[in-house]
Amino acid sequence: MTAAALPGFPRPILRRRELGLLLAAAAALVLGNLSLGLTRTGILTLADPAGLLIYLAALVSVHFALVTAGRRVDEVLLPTVGLLGGIGLLLAERLPQDLVVQQVGPAVLGLASLQLVWLVLALVIAAVVAITVRSDRWLRLYKYTWAASGLGLLALTFVLGSDVNGTRLTLDLGPVSGQPSELLKVILVVFFAAYLAENRVLLADARVHLVGRLTVPPAPYLLPAGLMLALALGIVVIQRDLGAALLFYAVFLCLFYLATGSKVDVALGIGLFLVGFVILALVFPHVRDRVATWLDPWADPLGTGFQTIQALHAFARGGLLGTGLGAGLPTIGGQLPIPAVHTDFPLAALGEELGMAGVLGCYLVVVARGMRIAAAAADDVRALLCAGLALVIGVQAAIIAAGNLKLIPLTGITLPFISYGGSSLLVNGLIVGLLLAFSDRGPVPPGEPRRGRRVRGGA
Amino acid sequence: MDPLTLAVWAIRLAFLAALYLFLGLVVRALLRDVRAASRDPAGALGRLVVIASASLPAAGSVFPLDAVTTVGRDLGSSVVLDDPFSSARHAVLTFRGRGWYVEDLGSTNGTLVNGVPVAGALPLGFGDELQIGDVRMRLERGIR
Repeated sequence: MTAAALPGFPRPILRRRELGLLLAAAAALVLGNLSLGLTRTGILTLADPAGLLIYLAALVSVHFALVTAGRRVDEVLLPTVGLLGGIGLLLAERLPQDLVVQQVGPAVLGLASLQLVWLVLALVIAAVVAITVRSDRWLRLYKYTWAASGLGLLALTFVLGSDVNGTRLTLDLGPVSGQPSELLKVILVVFFAAYLAENRVLLADARVHLVGRLTVPPAPYLLPAGLMLALALGIVVIQRDLGAALLFYAVFLCLFYLATGSKVDVALGIGLFLVGFVILALVFPHVRDRVATWLDPWADPLGTGFQTIQALHAFARGGLLGTGLGAGLPTIGGQLPIPAVHTDFPLAALGEELGMAGVLGCYLVVVARGMRIAAAAADDVRALLCAGLALVIGVQAAIIAAGNLKLIPLTGITLPFISYGGSSLLVNGLIVGLLLAFSDRGPVPPGEPRRGRRVRGGA
Repeated sequence: MDPLTLAVWAIRLAFLAALYLFLGLVVRALLRDVRAASRDPAGALGRLVVIASASLPAAGSVFPLDAVTTVGRDLGSSVVLDDPFSSARHAVLTFRGRGWYVEDLGSTNGTLVNGVPVAGALPLGFGDELQIGDVRMRLERGIR
């Protein structure tokens, strides 16, 4: 034991791979900024040197904080998420700044400045969580408490929340407002992980016959799963939030499959959800409208279908290589062609100007890393927790991307790390922090003993 | 073609190239990790980690598990416990289908899982604590 390894004085561990990837990401972001500046002004200049500098400095600070902390945590997540956040910042810089305006003291902050503030805060949260969280006991021991607090949060939003665009998602508490369903997704993953790890073997092996050779787990063990289905459909009805419902349920089914390996149960789960959704679509007008818009947006091209049609046109304009940052999105009569482009349709804007699937590749990397961390985890709860946290990001990106592309009905959830939105960015920062903390591989193992030395305790 | 358009195009394509280069680097890092992990398949099913022990094996020892792992004081056991309260053939851990099961082999002092005595074959989850004599061990997932 060396003096440097005393508690409180961790020995710094160089993270060369992370630094290299961060440099590559930074180079891409600088080029993107140059591209935007050149398109806008006609001279080779950075579009937003101050914002870029602050953001890159924040990323590098997090890197050195992790180096100083001396924990052997994942080295790929931070650069990947950093690149996604940087692209989000570029997009915010590129869009009209008056989409979001907030007065902070004497200063009036526009879209890009606010996005930068939230991004830096998210990075700070990720770093603090990654360095300080040593154990997941506080998460796994109180799973029902967490579940109850999550449901409480949901109820609170419903009672006290305010309506934005016909969905009741925003909770205003004095000066602070936020979207609790963002935090709810983390809480639910914690509950799923603990519940599924506890009942894994029972769910997989203790089966009762349903019809013929089709078997399902016995009813008492399925109760939480049934409650989950009810919760998902309830969110659709009461909160009118298709996106969150789809996200929670998809992540639950993924984790169920990871825990039990039972394809039949997952197929049953999907079937039940589809049946429930069709019934809801027949009964409730707001669900029916969404589905109708998805099936045929051209039925009402200037009304409900407007957003979707404009997004499809944007993708088409972009083509393979895109129009270039700052060259797309011509305004129509001073109005942006796609309403809510900064929160719900960032992918359409990226598709138009960068014309690529590369951004979606970054989400795949996040999920792949999450699965690696899960596979290396010491026990089931932590494995499911890590897989669930990574899946929340991946599934959410997939849902909103599919919605933007008109593959599934459009749902108003954010594109992680890219969409504008404080709650979303902060919670995603928390998720990255937890994933980093749980990927800790422990202290550096001692090297191989040198040959020719006496073996200790030879008898 | 005027030089401005050319420059705009050059920077745009360089930006895209940098994005895809980053993605390529990340994928290379991921592949390297997967290869490093697949090189050492020992203990893929699970590991037994000693968390407290009055004798040998000392706390902190790790045993990669085979599909059938015997535990006891007998030197022929897969995991040899040098504990006075352990029987010669004390317990057996078996990996059946999807999970681990533990079975007591009629030992004198019994086998405890999370503090509860084992009767018959009991499913053992990752993270569960197994106690034999004064040796307490935890079943952990294998390294894959």
